[in-house]
Amino acid sequence: MDYILFILYPLSLIRPRFMLPALVFHAFLIVASALQYGRIPLMGMHDTLGFLAFSIGVVYVIAAWNRARDLFSYLTTPLILIFLAGSAISPPVTHGMPPVLKTMWFELHVILSFVSYALFAVGAIFGLLDRYGNDVHAERGQYRSLLLGYVLFSIAMIFGGIWAFLAWGTYWLWTPKELWTTIVWFFYSLYLHARLVRGWSGPKTAWMGVVGFVIVLFTYAGVGLLMKSSHEF
Amino acid sequence: MKNFFLSLKTTVWTLLGLVIVFFIGSYMMPMHREVFSSMNDSLLFDWVKSVALRDLWLTWWFFAALAGLVVLTINTLVCSLAAIQGKWSRTDFLLRISPQIIHLGFLFILLAHLLGSGWGYKLSGMMPEGGFARLPEDRALSLQSVVVQTDPAGYMQDWSAEVSLYENNEVVKRGTLGPNKPLFYKGVGVYLKSLDFERGPAALLMVNKDPGAIWALIGSALFMLGSVSLLALKWKKT
Repeated sequence: MDYILFILYPLSLIRPRFMLPALVFHAFLIVASALQYGRIPLMGMHDTLGFLAFSIGVVYVIAAWNRARDLFSYLTTPLILIFLAGSAISPPVTHGMPPVLKTMWFELHVILSFVSYALFAVGAIFGLLDRYGNDVHAERGQYRSLLLGYVLFSIAMIFGGIWAFLAWGTYWLWTPKELWTTIVWFFYSLYLHARLVRGWSGPKTAWMGVVGFVIVLFTYAGVGLLMKSSHEF
Repeated sequence: MKNFFLSLKTTVWTLLGLVIVFFIGSYMMPMHREVFSSMNDSLLFDWVKSVALRDLWLTWWFFAALAGLVVLTINTLVCSLAAIQGKWSRTDFLLRISPQIIHLGFLFILLAHLLGSGWGYKLSGMMPEGGFARLPEDRALSLQSVVVQTDPAGYMQDWSAEVSLYENNEVVKRGTLGPNKPLFYKGVGVYLKSLDFERGPAALLMVNKDPGAIWALIGSALFMLGSVSLLALKWKKT
């Protein structure tokens, strides 16, 4: 039934609010998957790419509620469809949760991580709107998205640290994944501070929001694929 | 010098430097496993003494990261102290204190890493059922039994291990270890990392004393408190 999403999501190209049916149906699929496997549906690339697409959709609908169809929709909807396509071609994990993942700390860590990734994605799109969209409110939209994303990402990392301490006796490991996670955190800390510095605020910080999301994507997918790590993704 | 550490430009350039150094490190680590694979096995300072200082051409990024973190720590302290010393008014109290709470949380987390890197201990080893091992501080550990539950498809659903902890030859704590379920006693954690049945039931156990853990928890709580407060205030203002 996932293919129905490829029909529903593009409705937002008519009007942003028209993404609502896609989100409701996607939420239904996520809940159905959770009930089928008896676990949080966030294991492997199939689940997580789908959840990332859904989260970007939610952030987009909230941010674009009062907007007409514009570059924001033209950039966000294809991004959602790309992640959905990635999810569709990735094999789903069909078994239950490994015992070490059966804890609320893991669930909160993963959910908050992907919601923050979605906010970083929308922040990057606002950065492009600021540069190319003649949108006077884009800088504000980017700041709000990235500030909220940064706070949720920080909380996600803290919960991940608590989980790691209970599972393995350490809240931080020297592995490429942890280094990249720290790079993400440092980079958005850099963005938040650079906004306050003359010579950095403006176009530079708008582009930093775009670069930040590229770093996020590599942290999410690239590190797991290219480097051995404590994380599967 | 004070102006250098009081400047936001120092924060920005240091963070950018740390991003670059960590980026380099993430590529060096998988390429030179012989140097970096033992980084998490014992205390970090032991790894620095026994490995990192001997392979500086491969570990320079690690020391550069430490130098960056030292600069960031001083920068954070100087900026926060300057902000606290300024004039305060009731109207913007929360808006001004929230970033300082975030900074304090960050500094506590760095302190936690420092304490955990140099003090305490980290031991691990395979112990057979009925096994017994001596630990530092006149303590000892014994493994009574291991239990595994599998589903009909043979997929491991849960596992556990019964252990006893001794101090001065007296049992001071008994407990069941499992995934995400360590046993804590006076700052020492006992963890069940995996099971092995090849040569009879055995468990890979880890005993860890990390004096920084409590500071990491306090720092994290402060960081979250300050961040959420700042977010709420900035959200209203922008």
